[in-house]
Amino acid sequence: MRLALAVLSLVVLIGSGVVVYDQFHSRWEDNQKAYFNQALGLAKTPAERASLEARVPKIEQTIVTGFGEQRIDRCVSCHIAVDDPRFTTEKQPLATHPYSEAMGDVLRNGRWERRHKFTDFGCTTCHDGQGRGLDRADAHGDDSFWPEPMLGYTMQDGWKKEISSHLHGKEYMQANCARCHTAKDFAGTPLVARGRELFFKTGCYGCHRIEEISSGTLGPDLTEVGKERKLDYLWGHIVNPRDYTATSIMPQFKLTDEDRKALVIFLKSRRGSDLTESDTERFRLKSANVTPALPGVSEPGAAAAGPALTPAARGEKLVGDLACMSCHKLGDRDGGISPDLSYEGLMRDQPWLMDHFRSPRSRIPDSNMPAFGLPQADFEAITAYLLTRTTPPAAATPADTFKTLCVRCHGEKGDGKGINYLYLDPAPRDLTRAEFMVSKPQERFIASIRDGVAGTSMPAWGKSLSDEQVKGVLDYVWQTYVKEPRRQLKPRKVPEQNPAPTSAESIGRGEATFMQRCTGCHGRKADGHGPNSMDISPRPRNLRNFAFMQHTPDRRLMESIEYGVEGTAMPSWMDYGLSQSDVGDIVNYIRSLNQTGK
Amino acid sequence: MWKDLLDLPRNVWRSIFRNPLPSSDRGRAATSFTNFFLHIQPVRVSKQALRPSYTMGLGLISFFLFVILTVTGVLLMFYYVPSTGMAYDRMLDLRSSVAFGIILRNMHRWAAHAMVAVVFLHMCRVFLTGSYKPPREFNWILGVCLFLLTLLSSFTGYLLPWDQLAFWAITVGTSIAGYAPLVGKELKFLLLGDANVGQEALLRFYVLHVVVLPAVLTIFVAVHFWRIRKDGGLAKPEPAALPPAAAAEPDVAAAAAVPAAEPARRFVIQGLVRGPLVKVGKLEEDTVFSWPNLLIAELVVLLLTIAGLLAVSYFFNAPLEQPVNVMHPPNPAKAPWYFLGLQEQVSYSAFWGGIGVPGIELLLLVLLPFIDRGKQGVGRWFARERVLANSVFLLFVLINVVLIVIGTFFRGANWQFVSPF
Repeated sequence: MRLALAVLSLVVLIGSGVVVYDQFHSRWEDNQKAYFNQALGLAKTPAERASLEARVPKIEQTIVTGFGEQRIDRCVSCHIAVDDPRFTTEKQPLATHPYSEAMGDVLRNGRWERRHKFTDFGCTTCHDGQGRGLDRADAHGDDSFWPEPMLGYTMQDGWKKEISSHLHGKEYMQANCARCHTAKDFAGTPLVARGRELFFKTGCYGCHRIEEISSGTLGPDLTEVGKERKLDYLWGHIVNPRDYTATSIMPQFKLTDEDRKALVIFLKSRRGSDLTESDTERFRLKSANVTPALPGVSEPGAAAAGPALTPAARGEKLVGDLACMSCHKLGDRDGGISPDLSYEGLMRDQPWLMDHFRSPRSRIPDSNMPAFGLPQADFEAITAYLLTRTTPPAAATPADTFKTLCVRCHGEKGDGKGINYLYLDPAPRDLTRAEFMVSKPQERFIASIRDGVAGTSMPAWGKSLSDEQVKGVLDYVWQTYVKEPRRQLKPRKVPEQNPAPTSAESIGRGEATFMQRCTGCHGRKADGHGPNSMDISPRPRNLRNFAFMQHTPDRRLMESIEYGVEGTAMPSWMDYGLSQSDVGDIVNYIRSLNQTGK
Repeated sequence: MWKDLLDLPRNVWRSIFRNPLPSSDRGRAATSFTNFFLHIQPVRVSKQALRPSYTMGLGLISFFLFVILTVTGVLLMFYYVPSTGMAYDRMLDLRSSVAFGIILRNMHRWAAHAMVAVVFLHMCRVFLTGSYKPPREFNWILGVCLFLLTLLSSFTGYLLPWDQLAFWAITVGTSIAGYAPLVGKELKFLLLGDANVGQEALLRFYVLHVVVLPAVLTIFVAVHFWRIRKDGGLAKPEPAALPPAAAAEPDVAAAAAVPAAEPARRFVIQGLVRGPLVKVGKLEEDTVFSWPNLLIAELVVLLLTIAGLLAVSYFFNAPLEQPVNVMHPPNPAKAPWYFLGLQEQVSYSAFWGGIGVPGIELLLLVLLPFIDRGKQGVGRWFARERVLANSVFLLFVLINVVLIVIGTFFRGANWQFVSPF
């Protein structure tokens, strides 16, 4: 026992010694001492020498009050030579902060004068990082919990290599310059300006709102995105949104790394408030509730040029200016995300297009196209232009027709995985799934191609293709993808009309059954997003897609429920004990959901 | 005059310490009860109580951790400001700018976690050795209260760094309190002083953490220690030498007199040392003098605690996450680890998991000495006579530990089951 006591006493003593030694031995002190020594060598007058010799290491700090919340920057405790022009060629942490005319520094009588004095600005106002820290890792924000690592310099531990390799460079600091220098064309922030331009050119503004800049509602508000997100998230999310949110409908835009960088810098500069405005001004701006004007659309210049152009010609210009082709295909320009507009005049009419512009989801309920806040006249012009796209595709062999018109959505393998299938909801039909294909009559497929499928992105090809061509394409699909002989379908006993009369009781019974049997896949809202829906292919039908439901006769609904749908996860509910009248109740319930639609 | 001056140091020393360093048994006894800090200890202590394998020093470690927490806590109070605007900044300062700031914070943090664990282990020790049996029923209840106070102290301290971890853990924890029947909502409001965790909650938790709970805890600790002495020291096994027949022989009156006789014996020793009493009570044979045996053992435990804590605090930093962002809860938001078993249960049923089951468990714990009246198996680990009680208790412990492990390591976003491997 006594031996243990002696040993432990020694251990505690040594432990305390280590702790104490650690406390009185910091890097910043070493740095300051090194600086004093070097400066001593450079000192010219005895007075300077004496004052240097008298200096002992101490924590240096700047209390910054002028820019946003008060901040305390102790960076100078290590970077003690930032304002000493003799150390320009030194290595960090003992280097002079560079002088730059571009940043407003002036050379007067051989001495540089800073425009942004450290006593006013501190360091973190421009660089980010954690000003209070005295430890290298703490101060630079290496700790993955710190929300503001040094811009363009510090890559945190959790960041992916392939992302952070793009995030180095002092140009990322432009995001902080723009917090005071808010002018769009400020010379010091070219990448913020470029990012802002891209924000419109790639259509980001359509979905995302940024106060005073855009008013989209489909995606998250980005007004404070620079405060909430770090560079790695911004970059990674633009490269692939679904790495972060599995169910995100944000398209993967085709951008170069340079463009991504500009966008990231622009987004990083959005911190909800800029440092030059007071709280009162901010409130005034907010309460004024200005609808932001879109650049290049409603600017005075465009209005002046307007009368000279016919609506269709103006529409064509708008389609280009508004960067519709960053998603859509038109002629040979293809954004690879949204449907082909090349034959739009043959597929849609004026009311459809106008409705769809005002609210895309009034026609295709699960569309991911934003409702752009353009003036009515602009929509009319674009509609007028699209209606001129009436040149049918050149007649070709069925194989070529399929390649030019169908592959973009249904995929080269016909498996419903074309380049844009991810953004279409409902997804394009998988044509290789033979069980499904042979279980439905030929007339249905012909009708789908000729008349389109309402409420989905499948357009009507009837005006573009002759009946012969339609049949040819279907035959081609059968030979190439289905690869099974057509079957003589057994007639099924399904009534044409729903035999159950529509009544509150019937709907109630239908709802009860639906909640019991159907919600696992179709969801409690019947919107096709049940808990199992993510694991099912094809995905369960959204039964609130009123456009689709309106065009689907009772007979098809009842048949699908009673007999199931081959090649999908929909089982035959007759086998699970649902009677004809149960199914009728369910159909009544589903119909009741779509009464108020639109 | 000169002589007086020369003797001054010795006289001062003598006035503080009445006894010289003891060299006789009589001196050893006197040292124990003439010293304020030692007089809480018995003059003689049973050998069994000194065996490390019997107590593992868990109770002492808990007490020393509490002392360390008090000392480091008071030092931290010199820097901390219970304000939502400044608390986090003060944490950053402690981390890199305050002398000894980081080691203080680490020691305080890890000691707090350790205390919860050690107090719980101490409770397990007391149960598994059957030490809650008469006459120690009330001390067991005090012990359960101390366990709860430890949890509360740790929980109230959890909020003070005012980072995301703290904020959301307290949000979750107080929501569990909100599930209590009838008074749940009011209790939550009383605790937070607001509908949500905010400045009021921070201030309340601060006051609870630094004043109210430590004061109550100190009183309970004092009574807990006092009761150990009055209940005859640590629980000892029934004398093996006594044949079972002889034990059954004395009539009821004699059996009732036994506890009363024990304190009397100690007065005898005191009387012997002080002088007036001549009668020497028979000393128990398996005991040794506290000075120096018990003292050294206690010092070893103290140093062991400090050494362990210093090592952990030197190598592992207390967590400090993002500053509070009320709009962005982490997913999942988790309570402190010792409440994760509760949170796991809450994910099955809010009332039963958060209030019902833990309430019943707590009630069982408090009533335990009055439910289990068997006299056998006291003072021995895993006594065969107590196999049923021990099994049931270990089952409860196991369930709670498993729930905590699941809650800590196996729960990801949306409280989905994830594998940590």
